[in-house]
Amino acid sequence: METLSYLAPLFQLDVMWTIALGTLGGLIIGALPGLTATMGVALLIPLTFGMTPVMGLNMLIGIYIGGIYGGCVSSILLRTPGTPASAATVLDGYPMAQRGEAGKALGMATIASTIGGLVSAVVLATLAPQLAGVALQFGAPEYFALALFGLTIIASLSGDILKGAISGILGILISTVGADPISGVMRYTFGVQGFASGFAFTPALIGLFALSEVFTQIERIGLREPAITLVKNRWPSRADMHESRGALVRGSIIGTIIGIIPGTGSGTASWIAYNEARRTSKTPEKFGTGHMPGIAATESANNAVCAAALIPLLALGIPGDVVTAVLMGGLMIQGLAPGPLLFQTNPEIVVGIFGGTFMATIFMFIFGMALIPVFSRILKVPRRLLTMSIVIFCFIGAFSINLNPVDLYTMVGFGVLGWGMQKFGFSQAALCIALILGPMMEANFRRGMLQAGDDLIAMLSGPITLLFLALTALSLCWPMIAARRAARRTQTN
Amino acid sequence: MTKSRIAAAAALAATLATPALADFPQRPLQVIVPYAAGGSTDLGLRILAEAIERLYDGSTVVVRNQPGGGGGIGTSAVVHARPDGYTVGAGAQGPIAILPHVGGAEYTPDDLEYIGIFARSLQLLVACKDAPFTDYDSFIGSAADKAPQIGNSGAGGANHISAEAFAMAAGIKVESVPFGGSSEARTACIGGHIDAMVASPAEALGAAESGQMIPLFVMEDERIDLFPDTPTAVEKGVDFTWSSYKGIIAPKGIPEAELAWLREAVAAVAADPEFIETMTEMGELVAYEDGPAFEAMVTKDAEISRSVLENLGLLGMNN
Repeated sequence: METLSYLAPLFQLDVMWTIALGTLGGLIIGALPGLTATMGVALLIPLTFGMTPVMGLNMLIGIYIGGIYGGCVSSILLRTPGTPASAATVLDGYPMAQRGEAGKALGMATIASTIGGLVSAVVLATLAPQLAGVALQFGAPEYFALALFGLTIIASLSGDILKGAISGILGILISTVGADPISGVMRYTFGVQGFASGFAFTPALIGLFALSEVFTQIERIGLREPAITLVKNRWPSRADMHESRGALVRGSIIGTIIGIIPGTGSGTASWIAYNEARRTSKTPEKFGTGHMPGIAATESANNAVCAAALIPLLALGIPGDVVTAVLMGGLMIQGLAPGPLLFQTNPEIVVGIFGGTFMATIFMFIFGMALIPVFSRILKVPRRLLTMSIVIFCFIGAFSINLNPVDLYTMVGFGVLGWGMQKFGFSQAALCIALILGPMMEANFRRGMLQAGDDLIAMLSGPITLLFLALTALSLCWPMIAARRAARRTQTN
Repeated sequence: MTKSRIAAAAALAATLATPALADFPQRPLQVIVPYAAGGSTDLGLRILAEAIERLYDGSTVVVRNQPGGGGGIGTSAVVHARPDGYTVGAGAQGPIAILPHVGGAEYTPDDLEYIGIFARSLQLLVACKDAPFTDYDSFIGSAADKAPQIGNSGAGGANHISAEAFAMAAGIKVESVPFGGSSEARTACIGGHIDAMVASPAEALGAAESGQMIPLFVMEDERIDLFPDTPTAVEKGVDFTWSSYKGIIAPKGIPEAELAWLREAVAAVAADPEFIETMTEMGELVAYEDGPAFEAMVTKDAEISRSVLENLGLLGMNN
């Protein structure tokens, strides 16, 4: 019962207010392209100096949870991923909005985010110490195998395997620009210092998805297009929920697992969840056309990452992703040393954070649902005005991340690239996945080889590595296996 | 040294005497941090910004993050900023003292005005989980058989150089394993995927208390309060010390009055009890050094880095 008494401070009015404000602020930060959850948390840490630990940390967690959720708003409405975590939501969210079903798409995204958030919050509160050990199992070879497995998504996501592979390889090549992860040698920067860290990811993403869409819109500007008639309903129907059931469960579980593994994040989780939902679906062809389970999978996965990423942070003192690394700074400012002893020395704070995670998720649901009509009204803005404002947002968003003028060239370059890819049927999603996983694969392969004395067999002999390599092989052969099974079934019929 | 101290004192006296200073700052001051928001340099600077605003009524300090290129992009932005005193930068060891030797930086340490240091970041070498050594002596003994794998936060970064500089001084061989940032290295260390790493007291304290890491030695002249049982390399007979710092740099050519105001502000903040308390809780050691002392430290670090990089074959790699 002592544990429950630690929850009491959460229900003080000022603490609840702070968590609610943090969540709402995070939601807005997430919805604005170029402002990510990481930045939101980092910028507001100084505000927590004067707060009690439970209040300050939970405000930051509110920003984190709200921020990861908020990214879906601009993904769905404007095809502009508000944060990299929501890039995969573009695939089905934007087509739904174009059909006038923005309200429903946002509704599903909100419900999925809430379910994913609650599932991983329960896991955090009940199993954190037991599961945290998983985080320690991942060395360089394991990360390499995980990234390789993630890259097989490209094969199943792209209708045309050859074009998908070309997009993927292009993405991996693009990700080699900048300082070599092991030796530090500059590669393909042509002496431009602004590219020393490679192409900045968020500006590239904004160009790839948002600016490219602007170009497509401009092409059509002369055509008279039917205005989008908004469907008022924001609650998915019972049939929708039934159809998305599997996607929600898988998304939540995948998000929780990926969240626990340090150094991976919501971007990776949502792509893997999307792929799994599609692979196990009876109607995989509907994915990408505005299909509810697509949104359910990505949004449940990216929000499940939030609470799960706190597991290694609270139980072991190692952050699960970039945002939790920043949160660790927030913990330290409060005079708390993150590490395995935190559970014993400051149980009131650990339990307070568990409770705060639940509370922020519930606030996120309330604010998200309440704001859907406001957000959807954006689509009522005349196309031309909307397109122009997206252009402005693209530039502001791309610049505000690093304040590096070179990022603007990156954004425009990727905009042109994305537009060309779209025109000729190359998958932008494949390029995006390769940009996320390419650097992870390369750095960990090289690091693993360095540590194993250049012995490939020795490097790849760990059990987790072998598991992921087997999954990789299975994932690549799956279409063939599925086809054979289907053929056999028709034969017996 | 004394001469520069006197010069600094004179500048300080001039500060107090010049009424014109009441006019500075009239606009928000801007501090460029060459790293992404949320790291230890960024947090330190944000605490400093808050302290300046508190101590100097009506002043506003904006922290601007310009990450990328190992800190080179943001530092270059400071070098090329307008020298009116309104734009200063976070002076971090890596980009100022080391990066110019690796190459690809658009500046040298001589292109900067050194305002002052407000904190020193001490460094320890720690043994990771399942390492074949548990203290300094067994570490040196084990290194004779097989080069230990020491994790660092990035190739050519400050703790890559410090680990290799120690190996040179102690006459042992180590194998440096670069990671993408210190939190990645720390995770690998706690998971037992590397043998040792260079860590700050803040990174090591919680982990050492719970046995996730074992401190091997401190890179200082004398033992430190946080780790009273951990020896220094010096007492083990190796002439090696290394520490990083958090300071303020500015472009060259700032008018004297503004420069004096900035110097005085850093000194005042470093003496402020509230600032010291917050920084100490974060595991930072608040220690003030004036501009000339700062410059001297950078010069010394740059010399050591040069010889280490030359030894590793990385000197001028990206020129």
